[in-house]
Amino acid sequence: MDFFSLGLSIASFCALLGAARRVRGWRRWRLSSGRPAVAFSLQGLAAGLADVLLLRRTFRTSRLRWAGHMLVVLGFVPLLVLHAMDGVVTASLFSGYEPTLDPWQMGRNVCGLICLTGLFVLAGHRWRTLSAASGLEDWALLGGIFVIISSGFVLEAAKIAAPGDFERMAEEYLFAPEPEEYDALRAYWAYEHGVRFEDPLPTSAEVLAQGRTVHEDSCAACHAPTATAFVSRALVRVLPRAVVPARSTPRMLWLVHVGSAFLALALLAWGKWMHPLATTANLVFRRGRTHSDGTAPQGLALDACTRCGQCSLHCSVAPSFRVLGNRDILPMEKLADLRAWLAQTDRTTPPALLVEGSHICTECLRCTEICPAGIDLQDLWMRSKGALADAGRAGVDGEIRKRSAAQWAQELARRHVDAFGPSGSGLADRAESFWGCVQCTTCTSVCPVVAVSPDPARDLDLTPQQIMNYLRMGLKAQTLGARMVWSCTTCYKCQEYCPQGVPVADILYELRNLGAEVLRRKEDGA
Amino acid sequence: MRRYAYFPGCKIAHHLPEHGHSVRAVCAALDIELVSTEFSCCGYPVRHESQDAAVFSALFSLAKAQALGLDLMTPCKCCFGNFQHARHQASMDENLKHRMKKLLRETGLDFPDRVRVFHLLQILDQNRDALLQAVRTPWRGLKVACHYGCHALRPSQITHFDDPLAPTIFERLVTAIGAEPVLWDLRLECCGHPLRGRDDAIAGLLREKKLRGAAASGADVLATACTYCQMQFGHQASRSDIPAVLYPQLLGVALGISPEHLRLSGIFWSAQAGYTR
Repeated sequence: MDFFSLGLSIASFCALLGAARRVRGWRRWRLSSGRPAVAFSLQGLAAGLADVLLLRRTFRTSRLRWAGHMLVVLGFVPLLVLHAMDGVVTASLFSGYEPTLDPWQMGRNVCGLICLTGLFVLAGHRWRTLSAASGLEDWALLGGIFVIISSGFVLEAAKIAAPGDFERMAEEYLFAPEPEEYDALRAYWAYEHGVRFEDPLPTSAEVLAQGRTVHEDSCAACHAPTATAFVSRALVRVLPRAVVPARSTPRMLWLVHVGSAFLALALLAWGKWMHPLATTANLVFRRGRTHSDGTAPQGLALDACTRCGQCSLHCSVAPSFRVLGNRDILPMEKLADLRAWLAQTDRTTPPALLVEGSHICTECLRCTEICPAGIDLQDLWMRSKGALADAGRAGVDGEIRKRSAAQWAQELARRHVDAFGPSGSGLADRAESFWGCVQCTTCTSVCPVVAVSPDPARDLDLTPQQIMNYLRMGLKAQTLGARMVWSCTTCYKCQEYCPQGVPVADILYELRNLGAEVLRRKEDGA
Repeated sequence: MRRYAYFPGCKIAHHLPEHGHSVRAVCAALDIELVSTEFSCCGYPVRHESQDAAVFSALFSLAKAQALGLDLMTPCKCCFGNFQHARHQASMDENLKHRMKKLLRETGLDFPDRVRVFHLLQILDQNRDALLQAVRTPWRGLKVACHYGCHALRPSQITHFDDPLAPTIFERLVTAIGAEPVLWDLRLECCGHPLRGRDDAIAGLLREKKLRGAAASGADVLATACTYCQMQFGHQASRSDIPAVLYPQLLGVALGISPEHLRLSGIFWSAQAGYTR
């Protein structure tokens, strides 16, 4: 078995195995059962295919990214089908196919150049707008395609310049040449087609004319002038005049070119490298829709992310990310961490950052409308909130309610809640806030939560005016876990009606902010 | 013609699209131009978690409106309340203001000290004469319970919406479309939505109490002017509940806009259409 067959087999095996593993994982990634059925329609299929072929959703978010991506696809796909698979595709479709003839030789250069242009556009765009959010797999994909394409150009340049390839072909296609004819052909190819030889060759008009005749008789039928491989030929010109590539150079470069293509194939199931398959499938499934209908398979949706970052750039709660610094507030990162959590066998403890990010999301639909991969993110966010709660994490509120007010008081007394300092504007810690409080119970008597609660002492622990009283005595830890603090409906009646101007509702907000901070530090192990 | 930076708030797009459709329709009919830009969250939902995050979210959107040279208008009472509250907090706390200015500078925006914030009802009230002239099919005899919504009303010295103990703006606007506001003792009480997902039992009790109260006051419908309040009353409604409707939808019908265009529910329309004839 030669390198090509062996490499292709191993790479294909890796790709299939990886893809199968990922598809198998989709079953475990289901966030909840009971999805509406997908109604098949030709219109939907056409809309999905239009999204795939024209990258319509990408066009809507960024023209520049669309242009770059389009160029990469338009350059890469013909190279993959007609060049990489020429033995099975091109040779059987076109009789008399020779890779050294035009349009194939020139076509490779055109496509390669188109693809490289697209890569530079995409890399530049990513660097300018997304460098902070970009990771290894992002740059590796751009770099991987760059290596494949550019090594192809270098390989072709080496084949043009190295004498070995000329000698091999001359041996194969020249029938018993006279030494004089052979030298004339060498001189002609050196002069006209850029082949480099170790020995100096004549450049006189007669010798070149003779070489030309031999070329036309024996070579031209199967070999276009190397000038049509315009990129590769330009690379030869860049090489210093005296340099003659070693006879082994093309073989080594071939190994790099084909090897890098095999490596890329083997990595097809790694992260976003699978997006040509997964995103395509997801776009077809979404049938051109931009609203959330919950019909797309969740596993596929989770795998269709191309990490283009548009969702995070336009996220409604991005300002909260700027303040809190939790990357899971932004959709792109949250999707990756949600996927990682769902992939775990033990799903009992979702990461705290993921839970916070999940709860800060306001379900505004913007990321879903924007996503160029057509992922129904809204559906994922709404379902994952439930899945995280089922796994025992329902946000700050849920965590606080896991213990009673007395348990929190004990816990916080040990952990010196005062060391956390004031939260918000520090109203709860300032004596001035409560100076006016005469415990008149107005705040409690106007509170709609107290009024509606069947048993306030049991359901709420403390009433608003009791909380104010505890705080003015410095008993902050005793108030933090009180249900009244967490079941405050923020209607501000207490504050509005207080005859003494105590900012009751603002203080309750501060206590909840403090609870969130306590839990954040708890996660950090403080 | 009046122009405002239109701040729909996060919940309209997916959870209450009819609110967005009806607000746009009535503003178009009344020659109020709504300018759209990509806003962020107002910060109200994150207020339990972090004051800084909530205040910065609000100031960020206000700064964007200011950069457009427009005042901001929102149809959501909670967005309105948080915008007002965030500016108040920043004005009362020098350290907070300093942190916010720094964050805004990083995003290339100025501190929003010039932009004004309005709720939809305030804009409609300011244009009440034009509104009265534009009414074509008034709601004759429809009895409406006006649900005010807490976060615009209180704390009044921060929100500056209306008299916190005896507001009249909603009743004025209901009267303007030919309907009759009813006397309802719970009109200023909370809808309970802020406790959804946090304490669903209390949230449910608050909702039921209000719906019962509205029905007992003799109203045919309960009108809201806030995305969250409408989500609380409008969703999961049982057949016996008094129907909750968005004020811009009622207004839209009175202006002669088709119920389909206002995304008014078919059940509501078939039950109440008689009042407009």
